[in-house]
Amino acid sequence: MKRDSLRALGLAACAVVLFSVIGLAVDLNNIVANELIPEISKAAGMALVNDYTMKSVEELEQLAATGRTPGIRLAADRALFILNGRELELFEMDDATLLDLAKAGDQDAANMWFFHNRASYKRPELIEEYLLTVESDTLAIAAGTLLGGFYVPGSPLGAKTEAELVELAKNGENLGLRVAAATALTAIWIKDQPLTIDETETEILSVTLVYPELALAYQGYLAYLFSL
Amino acid sequence: MKNVLILAGLLLIPSLAVFGQGYDTMPADARILPIGVAGTAYSDMELGVRGGTFTRSTIEDPKAWNANTAHETSTTRFTALMSLGLVNLDHVTGAIVPDLAKSYEISEDGLVITFHLREGIKWSDGVPITADDVVFSYNDLVLNEDVDCNSRDGQILPDGTFPICEKVDDYTVRFTLSTIYRPVLNSLGVPIQPKHKLAQYVHKLNPDVPAGTFNETWTLDTPLDELVSNGPWIVTAYQPNVSVTMERNPYYYAYDPAGTQLPYYDKIIDQIVANEDVQMLKFRNGELDVYGLRPEDIPILLPEGASKGFTVMITDDAGYGTTWICINQDIGLADGTNAEKRELYRNVEFREALAHLLDKDTMVQNVLNGLGAPQWTGLSVPSPFYAGRDYYGGPITENDAVTFEYDPALAESMLDALGVVDQNGDGWRDLPSGAPLTIEINTNDTTIRVAYCLIIQDDFRAAGLNANFQVVDFNTLVNVLVGGTGDIVQLGLTGGDEPNSGKNVYTSCGSLHAYRYSACDEPDEVDLRINELMNLGAGTFDLDEAFGYYKEYQQLLAYQLGYVYLCQPTFQFAYYDYVGNAFKSSPTSVAGGRNGLLTELCFDKRL
Repeated sequence: MKRDSLRALGLAACAVVLFSVIGLAVDLNNIVANELIPEISKAAGMALVNDYTMKSVEELEQLAATGRTPGIRLAADRALFILNGRELELFEMDDATLLDLAKAGDQDAANMWFFHNRASYKRPELIEEYLLTVESDTLAIAAGTLLGGFYVPGSPLGAKTEAELVELAKNGENLGLRVAAATALTAIWIKDQPLTIDETETEILSVTLVYPELALAYQGYLAYLFSL
Repeated sequence: MKNVLILAGLLLIPSLAVFGQGYDTMPADARILPIGVAGTAYSDMELGVRGGTFTRSTIEDPKAWNANTAHETSTTRFTALMSLGLVNLDHVTGAIVPDLAKSYEISEDGLVITFHLREGIKWSDGVPITADDVVFSYNDLVLNEDVDCNSRDGQILPDGTFPICEKVDDYTVRFTLSTIYRPVLNSLGVPIQPKHKLAQYVHKLNPDVPAGTFNETWTLDTPLDELVSNGPWIVTAYQPNVSVTMERNPYYYAYDPAGTQLPYYDKIIDQIVANEDVQMLKFRNGELDVYGLRPEDIPILLPEGASKGFTVMITDDAGYGTTWICINQDIGLADGTNAEKRELYRNVEFREALAHLLDKDTMVQNVLNGLGAPQWTGLSVPSPFYAGRDYYGGPITENDAVTFEYDPALAESMLDALGVVDQNGDGWRDLPSGAPLTIEINTNDTTIRVAYCLIIQDDFRAAGLNANFQVVDFNTLVNVLVGGTGDIVQLGLTGGDEPNSGKNVYTSCGSLHAYRYSACDEPDEVDLRINELMNLGAGTFDLDEAFGYYKEYQQLLAYQLGYVYLCQPTFQFAYYDYVGNAFKSSPTSVAGGRNGLLTELCFDKRL
């Protein structure tokens, strides 16, 4: 294994420009600290991850554990993921270990297990079948996230319309399918930008208690809008 | 590999390349690439700005820096960007175009090709490039038995001789052929090397060095300031297992229409990583500007593109190579058996019925996961001679494609008309005489081939043909194919741009004319015409004329249904949107030329 290249991967993850928001950091900090709706708070938290990587590991560990809002906890957790080189650590783990961690509730381990094994799930129906029997929510979410990539318009296999995806996000028969739809919807909205921040927040308010995965889709889109 | 990190640090070779100052003004004979010029294949590209670093990755270290002795793509990935030839394949169209030469002319009798070099252009160290470099590269390297050069075989003319290369003057070189042979034009695009740097290592020219010395020249141990380039880039740093850095050659002779010297980027860094998964993660994290993705990467990258600012290109363009079934029209000929089956297989209407039972769309969807394209003829789609084009190097229109649509009902009616019907009530169609008809389909144990065969078997059976699919080992399969003993073999062939390379497959006495070896002794009209067309295509330097011959041969081949083509994987790649002109990538990963990302034309839009 070319460890130096892997090390570079871990270090470079620090520089990941997922949602760069330096110019808006003050407003977002206000949102992330005071917003009561979890999805909106988390959207702000996702947009603040890069800023949070400037904090100390000790502070982040405290915020991740006891931060006052879901957004603060999410931002701290993701910043720690970067600073601790967690992606590299997971990448080098064997599948059995990853699976054990995933079943114990480690979402990142579940995601990496699917990354390692994605060649075995090259068709959407294979993941859909998997979701019928999966026992862990973390694995269902990881599988659903991968499945969402098939549902995006433009995908050579399995692409769905926005209307189909909204319906699936609301009423999909299992968690993985709903997460898949949410993943694809977020991607569509980021591309098309159909709603403003205010409109997106209104949509979140209207669905958060009834359709949590649809709210998750809006959350991802809102995080992107916050980053612009 | 525990010590790789330490070793890499010790072997770090710093950037020491000796660069000249570059041209004061654009050379009069500079090559102008028509970027953004309407009516050209470059019209959809943008003029760029200079500067920045382009970051790619590879999973193999290079083996040397010597373009003559390079045998594998991990090396040619770099040498191809430092050692250009007199002609090259156009970046976009694949057509043969002058490169280091500004033009060439062919004598009326077709036996003399005269190349005119670009005057005033220089090697990366500032030394002029002249005819002496060309003659040295051809006579003292390519044709020199002492040099381990894999491009020598490609120079052999049909009568076994080599072209004779002579200097006419400092900027003119003449190649004399013993016979007209168009494919040699492509072969003459061998790397041109700097005589002033390398002649001293050639035993023939310098008896003081032992035989074979050149083969150990420009190895990875060579100080990088010894390297000289005539291409867009020159290697300036190499850290084993970590990276190769190439910087812009200040004397590269290509410019854009605005007068900006290419390449646009200042440097390329090729990160050397452990495997493709690391490449994928690095691209995802923004460490690589481009990534040649695999089908399994698409569902991960596709939803992330808009938020992270990259594009996942899923093209409809098939890559090189062919995939087919071969219906053995000589079955039983060797041992005097299967006469009726042989007669049936030789009936083109029967083969046409089988062609209508090939569900290529399902193969693309189910076997290639939607990332493939149906194929109808024997020349690779990227070739400028591909018959789906309207003219040599033109865009692919498929205007004259010869296709047999998946139509089981039509296939069954054709079989009925041939008398291939179920006569004994067992549910399977019989030979017209009433004898049972069984069709064995063979391939070797590869996932994709097996999947193709299962689809074919199912469709044949649904049409009442008693088809049985058997996996055999590869050597057995090849023996079945070339021995003419099986019914149907499913396999594929690699492919390239030059149709003449398929001569051994498509001419009646070719060693891979596996659908009917007896055609060598008993050619039919179609065989004779294909033989003629292949000779005509190789016997003219008029590329448009040659295209006409090759298009006709491909269409005849498609109608003949000896090899019946299936489908071919398309290619995909991803790039960050700030890389200008990155969308114009192409099927294989040899960078910098026709078959790779067009490194000299990409630029950083953020500058």
